Amino acid sequence: MGRSSLAIAITGSGGAGAMTAGELLLRAAATAGYYGSMNRLFGPQVRGGESAALLQISNRPIACQPDTFDLFVALDWQKVDQFAAEIPLTESSIILADPQSGPVPQSVAKSKAEVVSFKMGDPEATLLERALHGKHTNVFAAGAVGKLVGIGPTNLRAALSAVLGSKAADVRRTNAASLEKGIAAAESLALDLELAPPRPAQRWLLTGNQAIAIGSLRGGIRFVACYPITPATDLVEWLAPRLQQLGGKLVLAEDELAAINMVLGASFGGVPAMTVTSGPGLSLMVEAIGLGVAAEVPAVIVDVMRGGPSTGIPSKTEQSDVNLAIYGGHGDAPRIVLAPTSVRDCLFTGEWAVYLAESLQTPVIVLSDQALGQALQVVDPKPNRPLPLARRTELPSGKFRRYAIDSDPVTAMPRPGTPHGQWIGEGLTHNEFGIPVSGAAAHAAQLDKRARKLAQFDPGSLWGDVWGDGDTAILTFGSGIGAAQEAACALGAAGAPTRVIGLRVLSPLPLRELAGALEGARRIIVMEQNKGAQLYHQLLAHKAIPQTADSMARPGPLPFRPAEIAARLAALG
Amino acid sequence: MMEDLLTANNMLADAPAERLSARDFHSGVVPIWCPGCGDYGVLSALEDALAMHGRPPHEVVLVSGIGCSSRLPAYTSCYGFHGVHGRALPFAAGVKLARPDLDVIAVGGDGDGYSIGGNHFMHACRRDLDMVYLVMDNRVYGMTKGQPSPTTESDWNSNIAPGGVGLRPFDPLTLAIAAGATFVARGFSAQPHDLTKLIVEAIRWPGFAFIEVLSPCVAFRREEFDWKASVHPVKQSIEDDRAAAHAAILADDGFGLGVVFRDHRTLKPAPEPKRASLAEIESEFMIDA
Repeated sequence: MGRSSLAIAITGSGGAGAMTAGELLLRAAATAGYYGSMNRLFGPQVRGGESAALLQISNRPIACQPDTFDLFVALDWQKVDQFAAEIPLTESSIILADPQSGPVPQSVAKSKAEVVSFKMGDPEATLLERALHGKHTNVFAAGAVGKLVGIGPTNLRAALSAVLGSKAADVRRTNAASLEKGIAAAESLALDLELAPPRPAQRWLLTGNQAIAIGSLRGGIRFVACYPITPATDLVEWLAPRLQQLGGKLVLAEDELAAINMVLGASFGGVPAMTVTSGPGLSLMVEAIGLGVAAEVPAVIVDVMRGGPSTGIPSKTEQSDVNLAIYGGHGDAPRIVLAPTSVRDCLFTGEWAVYLAESLQTPVIVLSDQALGQALQVVDPKPNRPLPLARRTELPSGKFRRYAIDSDPVTAMPRPGTPHGQWIGEGLTHNEFGIPVSGAAAHAAQLDKRARKLAQFDPGSLWGDVWGDGDTAILTFGSGIGAAQEAACALGAAGAPTRVIGLRVLSPLPLRELAGALEGARRIIVMEQNKGAQLYHQLLAHKAIPQTADSMARPGPLPFRPAEIAARLAALG
Repeated sequence: MMEDLLTANNMLADAPAERLSARDFHSGVVPIWCPGCGDYGVLSALEDALAMHGRPPHEVVLVSGIGCSSRLPAYTSCYGFHGVHGRALPFAAGVKLARPDLDVIAVGGDGDGYSIGGNHFMHACRRDLDMVYLVMDNRVYGMTKGQPSPTTESDWNSNIAPGGVGLRPFDPLTLAIAAGATFVARGFSAQPHDLTKLIVEAIRWPGFAFIEVLSPCVAFRREEFDWKASVHPVKQSIEDDRAAAHAAILADDGFGLGVVFRDHRTLKPAPEPKRASLAEIESEFMIDA
């Protein structure tokens, strides 16, 4: 029959190739027809640092990180202590380790998981050969694990080839040999890790960051300006050559101040534009986001959140930029803030963000997080896409008033080059023609115009999603949603039906839709990954939840796990 | 279609060329500038230059940051953008990268360009986009009523720095040359005819053209009106030789007018990538199960 899913952690010091092994296995599992997901754990070093691939292979889509790992593969034991807290093991977990690596460190051994001794390399190899080819331990281990799980050698071979890409022929040859030896060595292990047969279908393998990138391209983004920042850099590195292939441009700016202003400039020029950053970069951008609001220039700003404040934990996840995204900047500068509800949804929300920015002529912030952005997942691509919406550019008749207040608050924004359409984009309080004024009436009128744009924004059914109808409701967003869904599943099975409400629109809050989603809920818990309960307070301030609602807020970088959520709900009574 | 907005975006109609006059570039908005401000001379030289250059106002974008001189875009009939303090250059770069078919001119003052926007100034020189940067340098923060800027003399007395800031003023021209600018010039607001010619040449220069314009502040630096007696034509314009340009500008007294440096050498452009459709790009994620 086999297991329905398996959680595997592969750890190793720098150069050991834990990530390569993880990606190889995930890719092989994907081509064999399984779902899967891989999160990456890194130390602070650029090269040579320890790393861990946290992998899940399953017969159903992966929603979140598992409560515990079934298999722990140690390519070596150096510095594994750093990760022990992030890789929970139990007595029924299995640790696969090469006796040559030394004894199992206390941080891992204390789980009382079963340790299985396994030589990860050619037992016939001489010391010299081992030193030369030691780095292929990872591929050897992947071959062995793949075999134990039940993934065919053809899938493993093809995945190795894809992972190695354009590496030199001798590298490919020695790695291929290691893979075969690993597959063969699995026979010596009397372990039952076999998965139930898969259900193949047309699926995609991609990260949340890549999914947002594709969504943005679908939405029409053809200009990106950015500054490198973890964990958002891989998004723009993927995007750079693809944008060029589509006739667009990606510019590496001198800093985030330049990046957001370049984006506003390109957008003013008529081209849908986006920047991609993380918390520290968003902090630098807020002044210009206010400019985008005041001058009414479309822009998409993606924030792949990481631990904060200040430099925080660059490589690890947190959801602590909620306040910054909604309120960052001086003055009354309302904007739209969206959050993708899963890796798969990054495609959809990324595309929708462009349509909203363009059609409402306003900055739109997409709050992703490292746990979504850098998770490599097998997903069923969404069949549906958001309805395209475009910018109003046609010149109205009569003397053109760019910031007219007596009509639809979304006023025409002719592209430069349009005869008789000249207008001045203005960050100062301005009159209907865009000329700076400092009177109370014009100030109120323009603030009102911009507020009306957001007030008439109706997200419809896209405001968020509701799963289940239990009288306990977990209200959350981003990477919290998957964990809440898994917890709700377990709670439901235990006779405590629980509904999950995942918000896609964080601002302006979809109050009417939220009220509908919360109907009949006896108990409401707002779950978020930050210390200050930022979303909870936002919801309270807007009376979107009753005073009796509970908050389940804690900082990152540890992911929410289903068992943790279920335990917390039980404790709340 | 959106797909080709950037490369094939010839959104501009092929209208027959008509003779334009400075009036065609006048918006009619009354400047907030003090009577006698040097910036009036720059505005009039810019309008003359645009008329002489011959592209209609709707094909020109003027971009500015914050400060007295940054009010300029609204005084013209071109497309314009008045953004936040110090960021005119990146905004202008965004416009030009998205719309290479337009003429883009960034304008502003010494505080905007050399202090809060100093980093962007260096990188705009490096980036060498086909645009103009016109800095009206009055060596003072005028809008906030008289504080020393990066180009203010070290001993200039002010409320915020009694007796002077005691810092060496920096020289924007040497900075531009060091940062890789390919067209570096100095003009004077009280000689609008010569300034007009400089601006026309700058617009037609195929890369980043930087003009530092001496533009006296009538409110806080009346002594700057004596610049009339100090200015003189630059001894020579240096072509291509960056070291010689440095030497020439360091030997100059800060009042030499004209084009200081032109670098005609161009860098090899990155190769054009093969075009692909979005569907082809998306296919890389498909798993063949």
